[in-house]
Amino acid sequence: MPTLTIDDQQVTVDQGTTILDAAKKLGISIPHFCYHPRLTKVDACRMCLVEVKDAPKLVTSCSNAVRDNMVVFTGTPKVEEARKSILEFILINHPLDCPICDKAGECKLQDYYFRHSRQPSRFKDYKVKKHKVVDLGATMVLDSERCVVCSRCVRFCKEVAGEENLGIFNRGDHSEIGTYPGKKIEHNYQGNLADICPVGALTAKDFRFKCRSWLLCKVDTICPGCSNGCNAVVHFTLRSFDGIKGQRVFRLTPRENNDVNKIWLCDVGRWGYSFIDSIDRLTTPALKKGEDFVKSDWDTVLRETASGLKTVVERYGPSAIGVIPSPHLTNEDLYALKCLFSCVLKVTNIDFKLPGLDKGEGDKLLLKADRHPNTRGAELLGLSGTGLSAEAMMEKVKTGEIKALYLVGSDPVKYIGEKAEEALSRAELLIFQGTNFNASCKLAHVILPGATFVEKEGTFTNYQGRLQRINKALEPLGEAQADWEIFTRLGKRLGSYPSYKYAEEVFKDMAREVAPFTGLSYQKIGPQGIKLTLPEGKS
Amino acid sequence: MTVAFSEKTKEKFKAILAKYPEKGAALLPTMWLAQKEFSVITPEVEEYVAKLLGVPLVRVHEVLTFYTMYAAKPLGKYHLQLCTNISCTLLGAEDILEHLKDKLQIGAGETTPDKKFTLSTVECLGYCGTAPVLQVNDDFHENLTTKKVDELLTKLK
Amino acid sequence: MPKPILSKNFGKKNAHSLGVYIQDGGYEAMKKALTEMKPEQIIQEVDKSGLKGRGGAGFPVGKKWSFIPKEAPKPKYLVINADEGEPGTYKDRPIMECDPHAVVEGAIITCFAVGIHWAGIYVRGEYVKSIERLEGAINEAYAKGYLGKNILGMGFDLDMVVHRGAGAYICGEETGLLESFEGKKGQPRMKPPFPAIVGLFQGPTVINNVESIAAIPHIVKNGGEWFNGLGAPGIGGGVKLFPVSGHVKKPGIYELPMGTPLREIIYKHAGGIRGDKKLKAVIPGGASAPVLKPEEIDVPMEYANLAKIGSMMGSGAVIVMDEDTDLVKTLRVLMCFYAHESCGKCTPCREGTGWMAKIIKRIEKGEGESADLDTIVSIANGIRGRTLCPLGDAAVGPALSFVTKFRQEFEDYIKVGAG
Repeated sequence: MPTLTIDDQQVTVDQGTTILDAAKKLGISIPHFCYHPRLTKVDACRMCLVEVKDAPKLVTSCSNAVRDNMVVFTGTPKVEEARKSILEFILINHPLDCPICDKAGECKLQDYYFRHSRQPSRFKDYKVKKHKVVDLGATMVLDSERCVVCSRCVRFCKEVAGEENLGIFNRGDHSEIGTYPGKKIEHNYQGNLADICPVGALTAKDFRFKCRSWLLCKVDTICPGCSNGCNAVVHFTLRSFDGIKGQRVFRLTPRENNDVNKIWLCDVGRWGYSFIDSIDRLTTPALKKGEDFVKSDWDTVLRETASGLKTVVERYGPSAIGVIPSPHLTNEDLYALKCLFSCVLKVTNIDFKLPGLDKGEGDKLLLKADRHPNTRGAELLGLSGTGLSAEAMMEKVKTGEIKALYLVGSDPVKYIGEKAEEALSRAELLIFQGTNFNASCKLAHVILPGATFVEKEGTFTNYQGRLQRINKALEPLGEAQADWEIFTRLGKRLGSYPSYKYAEEVFKDMAREVAPFTGLSYQKIGPQGIKLTLPEGKS
Repeated sequence: MTVAFSEKTKEKFKAILAKYPEKGAALLPTMWLAQKEFSVITPEVEEYVAKLLGVPLVRVHEVLTFYTMYAAKPLGKYHLQLCTNISCTLLGAEDILEHLKDKLQIGAGETTPDKKFTLSTVECLGYCGTAPVLQVNDDFHENLTTKKVDELLTKLK
Repeated sequence: MPKPILSKNFGKKNAHSLGVYIQDGGYEAMKKALTEMKPEQIIQEVDKSGLKGRGGAGFPVGKKWSFIPKEAPKPKYLVINADEGEPGTYKDRPIMECDPHAVVEGAIITCFAVGIHWAGIYVRGEYVKSIERLEGAINEAYAKGYLGKNILGMGFDLDMVVHRGAGAYICGEETGLLESFEGKKGQPRMKPPFPAIVGLFQGPTVINNVESIAAIPHIVKNGGEWFNGLGAPGIGGGVKLFPVSGHVKKPGIYELPMGTPLREIIYKHAGGIRGDKKLKAVIPGGASAPVLKPEEIDVPMEYANLAKIGSMMGSGAVIVMDEDTDLVKTLRVLMCFYAHESCGKCTPCREGTGWMAKIIKRIEKGEGESADLDTIVSIANGIRGRTLCPLGDAAVGPALSFVTKFRQEFEDYIKVGAG
């Protein structure tokens, strides 16, 4: 393993490591545009030039491998002069429209100019005119004048998304990124283009002109879009802006996790966040009065729910209750649910497996057919197969054998259709606990508003059996509460139930009781998640 | 409108394909064939070529816009390409250019209304010893003078 | 003057046909190489010949061949660079037009020496006649059994292909050429890996200029030492074609010993300046070579000697400018050329060449300022040594040398306009 010196610090790295990566190991960041750790190298932007002792010229640190005893300098006057010069070259034909650019605040060109240049422009001639506001696909817009021709997007489409549909046309300073005239990018990974574009050339339509990037807070999360469990960051703000009042979450971006999603996110997941602040969010407890829902309060609805459930159990036994949770819920939510229904109320008819739950359209890269983040967790917690199936419950509701049905984020009407609709409308007591209004919720007698994945702590278990944490970024909208919290409050009214104050407490109990989670803690899970040791035949 | 090579060109195309270890390498020669057959590399031709070779359409367009000799727009019957690089300019290429513009009443990069002449300025053609030089389709006219240009244009009528 | 070797068939009737070529001793070298020599011996002879790459970089040809791994997982390739595009250069065209079999024979010997079974020659798109003649020669060679399977019954196979370019100076750059050969834009590749290891279709690849390849049969026939001895005393390296253009009485291609003084080329061979005017400036090695002043022309035309005075041998193309030459216009022509031909891949070349062209155009229009000259120098320094391929440096050569060596003329132009 070669040992080299970078800026007077020694470092030993693997054979073949580039100077740029070796420097990163020492905490020295070398500016770059075209280099991307997940794409092939092109050596094009020349921003990463560094000085190597005894080399006749500056060398590109992104493409040159280290050698034993190499001596590298990343901040000499010669290097700084080169950076300044490269930045000046990039800026001569750049429109300098930072005030209206969505990338402002997180733009590499802006950052590097501030860090390495800060010189006035010497350019007196006319700039090259290129295409602006080019519609590249369902979600992307291109401004060629801002482009630094780093070709990251071109390489991404070809190498990662597997579609060679972006190219660079013309040559010299007229070089321009584009799709074949009239064609659009069609793959499910377009959002990544905005992430990897080092400047404001590629922006997401969803984010354009909505919010200045520096006003956004960021919290680590897991994309709830499918069972893959892509690591993500939620960008949100509590401020209110003209025209976008009520929007708190502005985007989801990928977070690196080599074992899960590398550094990518699919469009289905990325742009699936809009339910969080959408108009159909359930924000207050409510009760059905006649045809309408009437706003209520937690005390009332919890009382109604508890007494309703209690009455059913007393009169008809626990088999007259059915519970259908959604695998959108966290392990904590599901465990709290299990404690309540299976331990306290002795209900066995619990099944999250609505037919067709896992029948979305997946792809080869990240997106899974099962569009739920915690199907595996629900399986491991045994929330299926203990009693009647969800579909069978519908029949029993219809025949009157099941009197009360408790839906937690699930939507039987969506998956089963008319049969479910008919059944639900015949239920003596239909309780809907969830984040958003849906076709099943419409038929409920009681509505308990739940928190979304950005409004609570918890864990998801992805399809591989990898346990990963989500974090609370925002307070639940309106009076909504985390599902585990609702179950805790209900549990108290129905019998002996732990008084959980934090999701982590639920997790601790779960880790004690449920085999695959044994010995784990939030700390052990860490930001990158942890692979569970699964019972045989379940890996 | 769909385009397709004639049987004869298809044979030529097959012969080209046989020469290369990789199919995609035949893109430049195939585009030459296409240009000869269709005069202009229209979007339909691009699509045809891409399909023939199984290369992404965007790559065909990259090639079309990168190289100067493929015609994305129709050219006149005679394509007058005047070298204006150093050796030719030293020996008066710019005077020849002005003369041609004057005679044809068009600017560089334009085609006469009767579609007879397209005038282009090009980079070094490799005839520096006999500068200035004008390429007319595949023929080269060397040691040009305005008088020779006049004679040439008369002949090309 | 010694008997010409490389240019012996220039202007000779039907020299391009196989019959005439063979009558004149053609393909004797190939027979010698294939039947009497071992591949290593051939490489040794080429090494001894002192032959340096005639395309411009001047890398020793024998050494280049020796970089090719003997065993490789992918097939090896020979690519002959006939993308002659360096302004002022027109020496490879007559070789291909008048002596195409020399190229074919050189290719066969090269491939035999390096263990290659597929050779491609990349000819710039404008050279229609060269392409015809090469294809004709290749067909004749196939018919005669000099190409194809089991050449001369020696168990050696070789296929040869002519690949037509489509108008891009950058394809003269080795790796740009490889990209173009593979059916892509001619944008240079990152190096390393070098083409000798990962080249055409990912295989180890030898890339040689037409003139280099055409010299091979002569070297094999007469020996490396013989060729080396043809160079100027103390310099060696054989003979070279010097294409001369611009304001000389007799422009043309002169085959002369490597190391012939530039003055001799201009005044003796090319007949001196037209109209017996004074010499103002001369570019010694194609447009990219830094310009020389009249007091610098005693330099021997050879790689190291030209490098010593801050210029370069390049393609050996001599471009002569007399006292009446408008250097602002001349530099504008060159700067527009590089801006037009920059492939656009790397930042300094893409942006810098265009910027320099814009400034010099503005100066020519009479809207220049004195500070513009400093800006050009600073842009050139910002490009120099920092680009992905040599095109950036090629643009810097004339930019820096014109503006610094003839600063006064540029200053005067800015102040009072053209002469």
